[in-house]
Amino acid sequence: MKLAVALIAALALAALPLLTSSNYIIGIGVSALVFTVAAAALNLIYGFTGLLSFAQLGFWGIGGYATALTVVTFGGSFWLGLVWAALLNAVLALVVGFPTLRTNRHAFVIVTLTFALLVTLIARDWVDLTRGPLGIPNLPPPTAWGYEFVTTRQFYWIAWAFAVAMLAFLYALCSSRIGRTLIAIKQNEPLVRAQGIAPMPYKLASFALSAAITGAAGGVYCFYLRIIDPLFLDFYYMQTFLIIVIIGGAGSFWGVVVSGIALSALPEVLRFSADLRMIIYGLILVIAMFVMPSGIAGWLRDRTLVRLREALR
Amino acid sequence: MTIDAVYLVQLTLNGITLGLIYALIAVGLSLIFGVMEIINFAHGELLMLGAFAMTFALPVVGLLYWPALAAAILATMVIGLVIYELLLVRLKPDEFERSILVTLGLSIILIHVMQYVFTATPRLVDTQYGFEGVEIGSIRITWTRVIGAGAALAAFAGLYTVLRHSQFGRAMRAIAQNREAALMVGIRPLVVARNAVVLAAGLCGLAGAAISPLQLVTPYMGQFLLFKAFALVIIGGLGNIPGAIVAAVALGLVESWIGGFFEIAWQEAAVFVIMIVVLFVRPDGLFKRGGMRVG
Repeated sequence: MKLAVALIAALALAALPLLTSSNYIIGIGVSALVFTVAAAALNLIYGFTGLLSFAQLGFWGIGGYATALTVVTFGGSFWLGLVWAALLNAVLALVVGFPTLRTNRHAFVIVTLTFALLVTLIARDWVDLTRGPLGIPNLPPPTAWGYEFVTTRQFYWIAWAFAVAMLAFLYALCSSRIGRTLIAIKQNEPLVRAQGIAPMPYKLASFALSAAITGAAGGVYCFYLRIIDPLFLDFYYMQTFLIIVIIGGAGSFWGVVVSGIALSALPEVLRFSADLRMIIYGLILVIAMFVMPSGIAGWLRDRTLVRLREALR
Repeated sequence: MTIDAVYLVQLTLNGITLGLIYALIAVGLSLIFGVMEIINFAHGELLMLGAFAMTFALPVVGLLYWPALAAAILATMVIGLVIYELLLVRLKPDEFERSILVTLGLSIILIHVMQYVFTATPRLVDTQYGFEGVEIGSIRITWTRVIGAGAALAAFAGLYTVLRHSQFGRAMRAIAQNREAALMVGIRPLVVARNAVVLAAGLCGLAGAAISPLQLVTPYMGQFLLFKAFALVIIGGLGNIPGAIVAAVALGLVESWIGGFFEIAWQEAAVFVIMIVVLFVRPDGLFKRGGMRVG
């Protein structure tokens, strides 16, 4: 049932460029698709495994830079760049994750945050590689078998195919035995150990996978923007991913997908100045944490439980 | 490569000042973590508010350094109290992720409200001392740096005395070491937590006010300092106050030396590299953790 709805929604989204001629709306569509993938990746590590990772911002930036540099500096194709972005991020996640996950989740949060800020500094200061604050403008459009994805309309298909592939993969993962193990690790790690399952490989794998997917999403997004500079690592992106996950409901796959599509459109509907928008985001975050800490999906789940209990009475 | 001795001493002195200011931030974080087991993401913004308070207080008191410093500390303490009563009091000790997200939201709000109201234009702070300084031979160090370092040292001495010898501080250590036992002997966790937050906010305000004449004051200044303070708290051991101070001064020195001889990017990267190495070698931080230690 859910899958049928998702399939119809995916096909409806695929038809977006046929329904409107406005590049502005299609652009919002590209952002919504890419942000939803990044948020779903954050949901894998935070919502399922229960590890709050701020490193997603760093992976997003590294993914963008890796893809852009593969094309511009090393002369590879956009697709190869995405693969590199994913691989590089997975390796980095293992390197950062292994020492950090041995400690406690407090340390994990702080180290991932520091990692994200370090990536920002490198993007700004390692001028030989990243060209510093000037960034790398005029990224060439991706091509496939001689076809150039030049306009926003054409690029939308790439974002759509990417989002569908990644979300399908994440759904398969989260609804499998592995996904259930991850939730078990989040809820009761000693019990998982007692069942004879080592949590560490699962934690590392989910961190690496979420890093790889976030990196590829960053690669797609910077080719949509056609430029990458240190602003690509603005904390704004991390906040957006976090708010999508929290409002949707951490640990709920479909909740996060729905809120990803909905909330990516929201800042565009609220055409406030950037500062006012950030103030509203901050307020949403604080209020959501007190009013519905498990998001809309969690709130719905609680209501269903209450109804079931009443039916039993 | 020959190393100029004067240059090296100069770098060392600058490094100590920088390290002491890092320590003020890291100690506040450690204090709040020790008592409430939450990580305060809005801590850097307290520092920023302290610096802004200094920029507003100085012209009012005719550029006099000390009254402005006191006003800045008082202002951040009041803000700390408001933040505690409005938000932090609702957080329970086991809600670690929630505390992060709440204080992160608060930090976003504070930064952007300040930017919205006062714009992002960097402000220069001028004090009665201007750029005058003490000169020892050919080594020169400005008064604002000397006073900043001195005030930080005085603050640590004061903090040590308070935590070690007053009922106020003993209650904080008791909560940090054993919450249940502290409750049983009649210590009220909410009051102690409030005191800790206000104290930490005051230290942060001091840091902000002391750093404001040394660098440009912008709404974003707290973010990068806070990220270093986070790393320091990890290196020193979560909740370990002397550990945080030692790590902070050491980092100030290392950064200053690296900045003097290598590319600027390495200076910023140093803290992260050190933190990862420490986590590999000693996952609980360099200094063993065992409740909140003061000495």
